Amino acid sequence: MVAFRNADSSGRQTGLLLRCVLYCLLALGLIIVDKRYQNLLRIREWLSLAALPVQVAVASPFQGWDWFRQSVTTRDALRADKARLEGELRLAEFKLQRFDALEAETERLRSLRDNTAKVSDRFLVGDIYHVDLDPYRERVLIDKGARDGVYVGQAVLDAGGVFGQVARVGQLNSEVILISDATHAIPVQINRNGLRTIAEGTGDTGKLKLPYLPTSADVQVGDLIVTSGLGTTTDSGFPAGYPVGTVTEVKRDPSQSLADIDIKPAAALDRSRQLMFVWTKATPPPIPVPAALPPEPKEPRQPKASKSKAAAKPAEAAKPAEAQAKDADAQPKTGTTP
Amino acid sequence: MMRESRIRRIPVVLSALVALALAIVPLPSVLETVRPDFLVLVVFYWCIAQPRAGGLSLAFFSGLALDLVNGVVLGQHALALTLMAAWATNLRLRIRVFSILSQCLTVFALLTGYQFIIFWIDGATGNPVTAYSRWLAPVIGALIWPLMVGVLSKLHER
Repeated sequence: MVAFRNADSSGRQTGLLLRCVLYCLLALGLIIVDKRYQNLLRIREWLSLAALPVQVAVASPFQGWDWFRQSVTTRDALRADKARLEGELRLAEFKLQRFDALEAETERLRSLRDNTAKVSDRFLVGDIYHVDLDPYRERVLIDKGARDGVYVGQAVLDAGGVFGQVARVGQLNSEVILISDATHAIPVQINRNGLRTIAEGTGDTGKLKLPYLPTSADVQVGDLIVTSGLGTTTDSGFPAGYPVGTVTEVKRDPSQSLADIDIKPAAALDRSRQLMFVWTKATPPPIPVPAALPPEPKEPRQPKASKSKAAAKPAEAAKPAEAQAKDADAQPKTGTTP
Repeated sequence: MMRESRIRRIPVVLSALVALALAIVPLPSVLETVRPDFLVLVVFYWCIAQPRAGGLSLAFFSGLALDLVNGVVLGQHALALTLMAAWATNLRLRIRVFSILSQCLTVFALLTGYQFIIFWIDGATGNPVTAYSRWLAPVIGALIWPLMVGVLSKLHER
C-alpha cells in the first residue's frame, strides 16, 4: 500500500484503502436499505430518474426505426392490415355482445351474497422500453410510473392474458416481473372445473409449471388456466378470471405424488410491446385528468346501487366518472374498456 | 485536487456513458448472456491507465448506474465494482508493463472476482441465479480487453 502511494507521477493520493472501505460501506448500506427498508425510503424511485436519460437515449433509435417502418409501408400492406383488423374487431364485437348483460348479471348475483367482487377494472396502457435489464431475470421496463398511479404489486396484462406484475416503481417508469420469472408464482385455477393451484415461472418465457397438483388431479392437455383472484385482498395481486395459459403437457409418474404439468402462457411474453396495467385497489390512485375535460355538471352524489351499475354506461362517460370517483365513494369506480 | 492540467475527465465520463448505453442496448436473447461487461472494462481501464481521472468514485457511481439500469438491488454492482477497481488500481503499475496475454489473464481474474461478488449478493438477497452461463461473461470480457485498450488509449495522450 505505502509502496505505491508515491509511486505514481502525480504524487499525493489519499489512501486507496481508506476510500475503498468507505465506498464499500456505502454500497453495503445501500444494499441493506434497498432490501429492507424499500418502502420507508423511496431512494430508488427518485434515483431511477437519473437513469432515464440513458434509457431513453438507447431506446429512441429503436423507436425511431419502428416509427420509420410504420410510416414507410405500402398501400397494399395497409389495406391487408385494415382488412385483418376489421375482421378481428368484428369477431371481438360478436364475443362482447353479451358481455354487458353477463357482467350486470354477475354483479347482481354476487350482491345477493354480499360479495361485491368487481368484474370490470380500470386500465392504463404502457409501452415496453427497448432496453435490456438483467439477463437472468425475466423483467421489462415500462414507460409508466408512480406519476401515473402505478404501484408495486399491480397486475399487468397484454392482449392475450396475464403478463406479470409491477416489481418496482420509479417516478416515470416501472419494472414488471413476468409470470415466467423463476421466482414468480401466481394463484390460478383450472377454468373447466375450478381446481385451484399455483403456477410458477420457469425462467423460460414459453413455459410455466403447475408443481403442486397431485397425480390424481383432474387436469387435461388443453385446459385453460385462469387467475383465481386469491391473494388479492391486499394492495397487490391478480384480479380473478384473466387467462394465464393452456396446459400443454401432463406427466403422471406413478412413483411420484405430484404431477408434472406444463403450461404455455396466454400472453406473448417475449413479443408484446404494449401492456395494460389493471387497477383493482379499493381506493383508486390519483388519475391524471386530461386538461381538455369539460367541467363536470354538478350532480348530486348518489350512492351507486350496485344493481344497475356501470354495465349500461357507454365508454365515453367513463372518464369523468373516474375523476369524480376519487372522492365520491371508496368503491373503485371504473371505466370499462369493452 | 485537479491541479495538473493533463488529467481530463471528459473522455472518462464519455466512455463510461457509452459503455453504460452498450450495457442496456437490446440484444436477441441468445446474445444477451454473452454480452461483455463493457462498463466494468472501461472502469478497469481508467483505474489502470489514469487512476486519478476517475478512480474509485468512477467505479462506485458506474456500479450504481448499473444497479439502476439492470433493476437489481441497489449497491450490488457498486460494491463489486468498487472492490475490483481498488484491486486493479493496486495492481496498475504491474499491469501496465504486462504483455497483452498477461493483461487478459489479470482482467479475467478481476472480472471473475466481480462476477463472484455479484453472484454472492444475488444469493444473499434471495435471488439466486445459478445458471452456468453467467461465468461466461468474464471469459468474453477478457477476450475483448485488447480491443478496449486499443479504443480507449486513443482517448487520452500518453
